[in-house]
Amino acid sequence: MGNVSRMTVNERKFIETAILNDLRIDGRRPFNYRPLTIKLGREDGSSEVHLGQTHVMAYVTAQLSQPYRDRPNEGSFSVFSEFSPMADPLFEIGRPGESAIELGRVIDRGLRESKAIDAVRLDIHILDNGGNLIDAANIAALSALSTFRRPECTVSEDDGQEVTIHPPETREPLPLIIHHLPVAITFAFFNEGNILVIDPSNHEEIVSGGRMTVSINTNSEICAIQKAGGEGVMSGVVMQCMRIASMKAADITKEIKNSVEIFDNERTLRKIKRHSEVATLEIDVPDSSMNETSQLHHITGLKNHTDLIPKSEPNTISQVFIGQASNWDPYSMKTSSHLSKHFVASPSTLSPSHVNRVVETISLPKLEKNQTENTTMDNDGVISMAVETSSVTKTKNMLTLKDAVDKKRKMKKKMKNVK
Amino acid sequence: MEVKSTPSQQPNLLIDQAIVPGDVVLHLSNISTNKIKLGLGLRQDADTIKATNMGLLKHSRPNKYWVESSTKRYIPTAGDAVLGIVIDSKPDNFVLDIKGPNLAFLPVLAFEGGTRKNIPKYEVGTLVYVRVVKANKIMNPEVACTDANGKSAEFGSLKDGYMFETSTGLSQMLLSSPTCPVLDALGKKLSFELAVGLNGRVWVDASSPEAVVLVSNSIMNSEFLSDTQQKIMVKTLLKKIEL
Repeated sequence: MGNVSRMTVNERKFIETAILNDLRIDGRRPFNYRPLTIKLGREDGSSEVHLGQTHVMAYVTAQLSQPYRDRPNEGSFSVFSEFSPMADPLFEIGRPGESAIELGRVIDRGLRESKAIDAVRLDIHILDNGGNLIDAANIAALSALSTFRRPECTVSEDDGQEVTIHPPETREPLPLIIHHLPVAITFAFFNEGNILVIDPSNHEEIVSGGRMTVSINTNSEICAIQKAGGEGVMSGVVMQCMRIASMKAADITKEIKNSVEIFDNERTLRKIKRHSEVATLEIDVPDSSMNETSQLHHITGLKNHTDLIPKSEPNTISQVFIGQASNWDPYSMKTSSHLSKHFVASPSTLSPSHVNRVVETISLPKLEKNQTENTTMDNDGVISMAVETSSVTKTKNMLTLKDAVDKKRKMKKKMKNVK
Repeated sequence: MEVKSTPSQQPNLLIDQAIVPGDVVLHLSNISTNKIKLGLGLRQDADTIKATNMGLLKHSRPNKYWVESSTKRYIPTAGDAVLGIVIDSKPDNFVLDIKGPNLAFLPVLAFEGGTRKNIPKYEVGTLVYVRVVKANKIMNPEVACTDANGKSAEFGSLKDGYMFETSTGLSQMLLSSPTCPVLDALGKKLSFELAVGLNGRVWVDASSPEAVVLVSNSIMNSEFLSDTQQKIMVKTLLKKIEL
């Protein structure tokens, strides 16, 4: 952003004068961070961070590899940083320069706690250098590591040599075990180490006398400090930096955690969507089978007698949504229109009275049929129960299974008496 | 394609319209005037004038046409006033960076009343307001600190203040007349000095650092805002420092 390779005397003088007045060229106060945006979500383990004008992308990959002999329980963690020339005219492709190596080392040192068995590799790409690459790259690295999922692998028991890596479809990939999030906060010094500002932009970096990076986590534990060259700083100033850094680290950690949480929620939502589609399919299945003449028989066959009333609700609900009112045609023209009227009027309010009325209408023609045919006791019981419970609901609104059971016994007796 | 008979009708359709490289802007067989002056972004192609740059087609009476576009890099053109940074000083001329593909040369004598005895001392990093004298694709452009008549006319080094870089389009907007809304709104409340280079560099100076920061940030923000949006933006920024 801008041609910082050629700084004018005017710019230098002005930046210093402004900072002496507690003002920075983009209007910030000395201890304000630039607006931070963390974008997650392309893939597990990739993140894109915008810190003001600085754009950094991080990507985490893992490979199964043999651990070191003397440390069989630890994996390896390597950081590769790429300074693309599109980020800054001073960057060149090929061997990484000093700043690239420094960036990699600072992030690496802060994150050496990983205990994964796999070899975890972190790639950092600088897309735009707007100043303070270390902080931005660190945030990108932390976000990427938090969202990375490694495939689950099991070791076969026979000889302990075979390792199977399960693809994400069969077994849910596991997140990395991250004990804490070390956040890097960079300070720039001016005026012979007396004035410090946080999160320097690239103009400020060039004009500054020195730079210091502190990696600190929310427990106020210092993970790493980096001060390479530049002006000498008093120990009091260094302590002040630590105090400010611990406050800022809390803010940044919260930001990272929020973004990761949103991403995780989206991911679980995506998974839930898949399952709910499967569930609707299941509801469809009984409908298709209900197309046949033995519909009512099917109802009884599927569920218990006692469960008829409550269970018919989902069946009828699914009937509504799929619009299969015409399936009732084999029974009676009346019922279908009757049904459709009910459901069109109030599809969402399937009160027990509605359901029972439906069942009643269904059961009436069936009764006729049953009287002619010799159907099983099941059907009779069902029908009678249906009729009985419908009359019951006219008096009561609440239905319980107990009612159904009691009525059935009574009706069975009645039917026997009738016959 | 129907060819219009009257010469003034056809280019009128495209003037102040966005054109892309390859668009035919003029048919020479229809033009009555003998001479047409082509500016940036237009090229003669047998019987037609075609656009080579993307931008808005501009026309000024009687016969000047050019394409106006906004870029981050500057193409040196003779007659432009630009802001250059001194990179090096040689015995015969200063070497300046003017944000173009080549470095520019400022002869040590190209000042009003300049002689071998009073060559100015420009160190590396000095910001100079110069005029482009000669520029073409193959040579390094030549600049001077005098206007066409040899007078100094405010050219020369700029002291203090702050310089920032923007696109060429924004520089053109700042130099347009009537005054662009952002400068108008700022000028009502603040007093500041401004030097705009057509190469996308702008220099600001004011009495207090807050004013300088405010002016530079409002100008940088105003590039893609409409007139009213610019005024509102300046208002909100001025409120922050209670003006």
